[in-house]
Amino acid sequence: MSRVAAGDRAALRDLYDATSAKLFGVCLRILSSKEESEDVLQEVYLTIWRRADRFDAARAGVLAWIATIARNRAIDRLRSRGPTAYAEPIEDYEFPDAGPGAEALVEAADETRRLQGCLSELDDRTQALIRTAYFGGVTYEALALRMDAPLGTVKSWIRRGLAKLKGCLER
Amino acid sequence: MSEGPELSDAEAFAAEHALGVLSPADRAEAERRMAADPAFAAEVEAWRARLAPLALGVASVPPPAGLWPSIERALPANDNPADARGLRLWRRATIGSLGLAAASLAAAVMLANRPPVRVQPQAPAPVLNASLTTQGDAPVPLFVAAYDPVRKAMIVTSLVKPGADPAHVHELWVIPADGKPRALGFVEPGKSKSIPMSRDLAESMAVGSSIAVSVEPPGGSPNRNAPSGPIAAIGRLAKI
Repeated sequence: MSRVAAGDRAALRDLYDATSAKLFGVCLRILSSKEESEDVLQEVYLTIWRRADRFDAARAGVLAWIATIARNRAIDRLRSRGPTAYAEPIEDYEFPDAGPGAEALVEAADETRRLQGCLSELDDRTQALIRTAYFGGVTYEALALRMDAPLGTVKSWIRRGLAKLKGCLER
Repeated sequence: MSEGPELSDAEAFAAEHALGVLSPADRAEAERRMAADPAFAAEVEAWRARLAPLALGVASVPPPAGLWPSIERALPANDNPADARGLRLWRRATIGSLGLAAASLAAAVMLANRPPVRVQPQAPAPVLNASLTTQGDAPVPLFVAAYDPVRKAMIVTSLVKPGADPAHVHELWVIPADGKPRALGFVEPGKSKSIPMSRDLAESMAVGSSIAVSVEPPGGSPNRNAPSGPIAAIGRLAKI
């Protein structure tokens, strides 16, 4: 990452080769559109190029950092589509398979397993809410509408879920 | 299963921002706090890192072969690592998942973070102008503002159709180099007005100072230190 920050294009290419399939999967998962995912993926690597100097290894792994950029960019794109983007139903509870290429991302796979383990300690409803929010950019208001539950209730489900998640991850 | 520890309000807000469940107005507020409060920004980053494995658990799909060449073509031609120093000023401002309002507000904060341009005290002070446009790919001018250093006033003209959106007011903000938005008052659709400014605020106006208009409930933003509604238009002062 420090090579990318120094303006080394070959380093960005290496990073692209190692991570683009994972990030493209993230974009597709959120946007369900190949064209838009390609657009966003391009923005993601340009963002990494410009911001590599801000990467702080003490705070996050490289993969977590760039996956967050990809996820956030894709959510921005999803939101820019307007209200119809939120018409999808609440997620299924299952985790998707890690898929091909994941073997190369051993560290990420470990972290994913860990988070998956902690999520599975939450009740099904809270898991589904958290996953729906994360992959759908769905706000409290929209979640409450979909669940036909009071806003305050949905809020406290998620807050409690996040607190438990943190407690579990720190164990 | 044991109960996890309760999150403090600030941490819960940070976690909610990282997860993406906040309303557009709250997202804007969270972005503003990230720009102003490094501890809060670190909290958001920590939550993003905690949740990132969710994204990493998604199945990989190789992108089309033609994508890398188009990324390479789009890289800036004059790669100057020194530019990265300037980018540091933008820390944390846009990496988040931003709604339009949040993006606009963050942009305002970022622009305001640029070092102030020193105006020569002896030179005749020029009027500074700004065209306030919508954000996005095709910006539309909605307001025109001019800072008159002699009268120490902001003259603003609304290009919004008179009578548009009577349920809301348009509140004018300036964001000087300290990055803190200051409310200047309301601008009625289709009207012009001259708004006197305090001496301190007037003297903080410079080329590059950001000016924005937010859409607020009647009476204006309940928070006097920041817009509560979406940013309708934004621009920067410049010499004509």
